[in-house]
Amino acid sequence: MSKRRFLSKPDLGPFVLDLIGSGARVIAPVRRLERGRDFIEYRQVRDPNDIVLGGPLPVRPLKEIVFPPTETLFRWRQAKSLIEIEESPTSFEETVIVGATPCDAAALEIVDHVMGWDYKDELWFGRRQATAVLAVACTQCDESCFCTAVGLSPQSTRGADWFLTPSKEGFEIEVLTPKGELLLERHDTRCPEASGSPAARASQVADKVQANLKMQPGKIRSWLERHFEDPLWKDIALRCHGCGACAFSCPACHCFDIMDEPEGMEGGSRRRNWDACQPALFTLHGSGHNPRKDQTARFRQRIMHKFNIYPARFGEVLCSGCGRCIRVCAAGMDLIGILSEIGHRAEEAESAL
Amino acid sequence: MNLYQPHLVCIDQIIEETADTRTLRLSFQNPSIAAEFDFKAGQFGEYSVFGAGECTFCIASPPTRKGYLEASFKVVGKVTRAMRRLNVGDTMGFRGPYGNCFPVEEMKGKNVVFIAGGIGLAPVRCLIWNALDLRDQFNDVTIIYGARSVADLVYKRELDDWGRRSDVRLHQCVDPGGETPDWKGDVCFVPTLVEKVAPSPKDSFAVVCGPPIVITLTLPLLERIGFAPERIYTTLENRMKCGIGKCGRCNVGPVYVCKDGPVFTSAQLKSLPPEY
Repeated sequence: MSKRRFLSKPDLGPFVLDLIGSGARVIAPVRRLERGRDFIEYRQVRDPNDIVLGGPLPVRPLKEIVFPPTETLFRWRQAKSLIEIEESPTSFEETVIVGATPCDAAALEIVDHVMGWDYKDELWFGRRQATAVLAVACTQCDESCFCTAVGLSPQSTRGADWFLTPSKEGFEIEVLTPKGELLLERHDTRCPEASGSPAARASQVADKVQANLKMQPGKIRSWLERHFEDPLWKDIALRCHGCGACAFSCPACHCFDIMDEPEGMEGGSRRRNWDACQPALFTLHGSGHNPRKDQTARFRQRIMHKFNIYPARFGEVLCSGCGRCIRVCAAGMDLIGILSEIGHRAEEAESAL
Repeated sequence: MNLYQPHLVCIDQIIEETADTRTLRLSFQNPSIAAEFDFKAGQFGEYSVFGAGECTFCIASPPTRKGYLEASFKVVGKVTRAMRRLNVGDTMGFRGPYGNCFPVEEMKGKNVVFIAGGIGLAPVRCLIWNALDLRDQFNDVTIIYGARSVADLVYKRELDDWGRRSDVRLHQCVDPGGETPDWKGDVCFVPTLVEKVAPSPKDSFAVVCGPPIVITLTLPLLERIGFAPERIYTTLENRMKCGIGKCGRCNVGPVYVCKDGPVFTSAQLKSLPPEY
């Protein structure tokens, strides 16, 4: 399947304009300066000059592109006791993401498991289907990155339809999926066959990320399986405010709420909104009983879901190592620190055997 | 139509169970859905009032009775308050059936002991009628039911029916202080009544539903009497939103209550963390 092509730097702008011209919505990392904050975020672009490839990680992941923070499941209109339902569309506008980070591209594929087991979530897969992901090798990491610890890397092609590796003159393109092939067919002339040997992939970034955290997900999981009750949970969770920022900024967290929004007396919409397992309300029963009664239980659930429950169900951790949960946490909860502590304990438990 | 869009159902009948509990009898507005709809005892649905939201309840009527389904609910929150304001002829939403079910086929030819506390009788009632509608396929049927007070007993007419039937053994109790002068049942808590009745574990299944306290006390008690943990069934009532294993709310350890449950055996519960 893998095909090598080349996109020169001067051709990037025209290529993006071609995409926009063909009717696609183009989403790309864009630099924002807002109230003294300088950051990168994924945004719809109209001017290719706004695109920042190879910059720092966008503040929010790609999740919102395929799984909006709030979305209409259907609308209803009411006349006395009669209800009429207006369906929500399950086909979506063609979208091309130019410059996804490898961790964000991989996370989409990781979440596919839960959205597709048994019941297939048409809204998720409808948007997934309409979205082509052009990922670009990551060239900037910081002390919160740990993709290499969860089996990914700054050059991981997972979840990408095209994978772009920057070189001096432009980008070498690996076409990875049928969807990617289709896109290439339409933009064939801009992307000639790559000549020569494959571009050298910088390994310095991977080395730096590896220095942040080394872990073996299998060992973490077997420790978690045996330590549902452990004093460690309370130690860790004492700092947690339970705000859920970690979940909202996570590319793999997918929990949601379903709510009705009445619009006047005659109708309204049922919506699904992002939710997070950290606030107490998440599991509170109508009776007042709460199965996860304190922050210890709730924080443990976050770790368990990502590193034990999800692997048990779907064969891999629910984490792409982007480190956003660490960067956004007001209380300084440090997933890298927590995972390495659990890793140590797992080692100790193993050597004690 | 996506997964989260409900079928429209019409309220055909409202039955007052107690001061705060009602049963709604619902039928599908779309005749082809009504004809196709099928479920198994123990499964649940997402019921909704447009404008208030969705709520998870078991299907309280038995699958042996076609053409309608029933939901029994206690008024506790936003959606149940809105449900209480509805009248006969009003429209609601229903998605389902979801989840696993009681092992009705395995129970056939065996004795079945039904134990319920309060509104916990709803999922058990579905199974009780399922068994009674196919009465000759089941051996002894024993029902042990209790509520806080006489006024809090649900399905009173049916309790009277069951009490009169010669092929059902019915034992009832209310909590101390909840009895009335003409109360003929026991005055004690449900586990105490179970201990007193001491149903025989031989060739028997037990089904226990009720508030957490009834479940936590009754399951070990049944095991002491001699029931195998694999033969004791209960349901978990974790909060749910999607009902189809997506929204992440009902996890108990590795289990999604909405898909792996809501029906679990006592043996299965032992392998789960106590987050229910």
